[in-house]
Amino acid sequence: MDNSKLNIPPELRKIIKYWRLIASLFFLGIILWSSIFQISTEEVGVITRFGEYVRQVEPGLNFKVPLAEDVYKVPVERQQKLEFGFRTSRAGINTQYRESSSTKDESLMLTGDLNLAEVQWVVQYRVDNAYNNLFKVRNPQNTLRTLSEAAMRQIVGDRTVNEVLTVGRTEIGSKSQELIQKICREYSLGIKIEQVVLQDVNPPEPVKAAFNAVNEAQQEKETLINQAKSEYNKVIPKARGQAEETIQQAEGYAAERVNNAEGEAARFTALYNEFIKAPEVTKRRVYLETMSNVIPKIGNVVITDEKGNNVLPLLQMEMNKKNIK
Amino acid sequence: MKTKSILILVALGVILIGLNSSVFTVQEKDQVIITQFGKPVGEAITEPGMHFKVPLIQDANYFEKRVMEWNGAPNQVPTKDKKFIFVDTYARWQITDPLQFFKRLTNERGAQSRIDDILDGDTRDFIANNDIEETVRTSNRVPESSDTEIVGDSLAKIYVGRDKIQQMILESANIQTADLGIEILDFRFKRINYVQEVQDQVYERMKSERFRIADKFRSEGQGEASRINGEKERELKNIQSIAFRDAEIIKGEADASAASIYAKSYNRSNQSRKLYGFLKSMETFEKTFDEKTSVFLSTDSELYRYLKRMD
Repeated sequence: MDNSKLNIPPELRKIIKYWRLIASLFFLGIILWSSIFQISTEEVGVITRFGEYVRQVEPGLNFKVPLAEDVYKVPVERQQKLEFGFRTSRAGINTQYRESSSTKDESLMLTGDLNLAEVQWVVQYRVDNAYNNLFKVRNPQNTLRTLSEAAMRQIVGDRTVNEVLTVGRTEIGSKSQELIQKICREYSLGIKIEQVVLQDVNPPEPVKAAFNAVNEAQQEKETLINQAKSEYNKVIPKARGQAEETIQQAEGYAAERVNNAEGEAARFTALYNEFIKAPEVTKRRVYLETMSNVIPKIGNVVITDEKGNNVLPLLQMEMNKKNIK
Repeated sequence: MKTKSILILVALGVILIGLNSSVFTVQEKDQVIITQFGKPVGEAITEPGMHFKVPLIQDANYFEKRVMEWNGAPNQVPTKDKKFIFVDTYARWQITDPLQFFKRLTNERGAQSRIDDILDGDTRDFIANNDIEETVRTSNRVPESSDTEIVGDSLAKIYVGRDKIQQMILESANIQTADLGIEILDFRFKRINYVQEVQDQVYERMKSERFRIADKFRSEGQGEASRINGEKERELKNIQSIAFRDAEIIKGEADASAASIYAKSYNRSNQSRKLYGFLKSMETFEKTFDEKTSVFLSTDSELYRYLKRMD
């Protein structure tokens, strides 16, 4: 075939000329493409050759034998979680949750005293053994979900409803984490439980009101006691103050009484001492002094002699006149 | 020339097909039994990797090597103490002898159905032989509760417990599966719950229990408040009466000592007693006389004696 006879562009002619080279490059490309692969930061790659595990590769660019080797990527660094009793319907700043009858079945459980409680929890885990996770158990995530439910019920089944709802929360979290981890190890799930977090733990809807009534009664109890205490605190310190006042007043009275007595006694004694020396004169002096003080204050002073009784009627008239005026 | 190359191509094709049907890979998760015209040949292949068989006449049958799930159907079962509960169970199992498994159960579906029969039956038996507490509780732990006394929650004593029942069911099941080429590795109760009708009764019981506790709290509050109130009254009376007593004592003592001071001073002699009487009456004059008072005085009196005559 003469190429020059056909009207073929020179570029195409070149391609036709080197078609073997191009084809082999193309095949080489495909082989390279299927032998190079990338492992992300959070993953490891598990390589099997004809189905048999050969090695594990770290994040970055890696190679495998094309056709013979397969790679399974397992996110060993990513923290994953399972939710029980609720589902996150939209995660975000305001995460929205959703509950349904099937999640209710997950959360409703019997407590040790044969009451019912609704327990919602989250299991945070990480795959820590990629080989076990891939090749030891079928459906490891499902298995984890099932065994977590069984373990949580076992832990809650050993506690009273009161413990589950109040004081036992953290303990239930840590105990169930231990138990779930232990079962995971028994099953060779290759999963490490990072944390079990108890979310809402509530009494079931029909008895919620009754549980609230207990809380209210507890509050009421506190209120009653506080009111009584406040009344006590209002009355007693005041009474103590008043008592102090009464005592102080009494002491004031006492001081006054004694001091007055002492004063008067001293005055009397002083006078007496002088009186003893000249009794008649002193007595007369005191009498006269008193009278001269007293008489000016007196409204009417009538002086009569012993024979002057007859002036009395006159005097009576005089006094009446004065009153008429 | 042309026929030769065609022959080569055909030969290559045959070899390829032959290889393809004689070479097979066993994955890590698999185990394989080779059958020849349907009859198992040799031991099971559990080693992963590339293996060979006779093309066309031998077949590779794959079986799962990993641990598999089994989920029981939620069963309504009466307990020994005649309580109807729903029991939801699960188990993990594994094909331990693929040859036996292949013979007895053929495939997974057959196995699941056999396990259904065995475990559901055993669950029923063991639940019916135990009280409900035994299936819920694992141990006789003492509830740690700050106000156990008030609430009155307590856990009844158990004798077998959940773990033990699960263990017994597992053992009993494994005896029955011994010749099926499988082993049940673990069996657990996933969910145990009251059936709906009982559930409503339980809710009623829970409600009455809580109301009882609420009443207790309330009455305790009232009692405590009354006690504090009584204490307040007592304290108040105590404080007031002590203050009154002390004040009276102080006043009395003061009165007494004043009296003794007066007495000591006034009562020293006949003279002093007279002087006291005299001074007191003088004082009384000063205090009691005013402009409304009228006094008749005789010239005989000490005061106006000299008015009449001087002598």
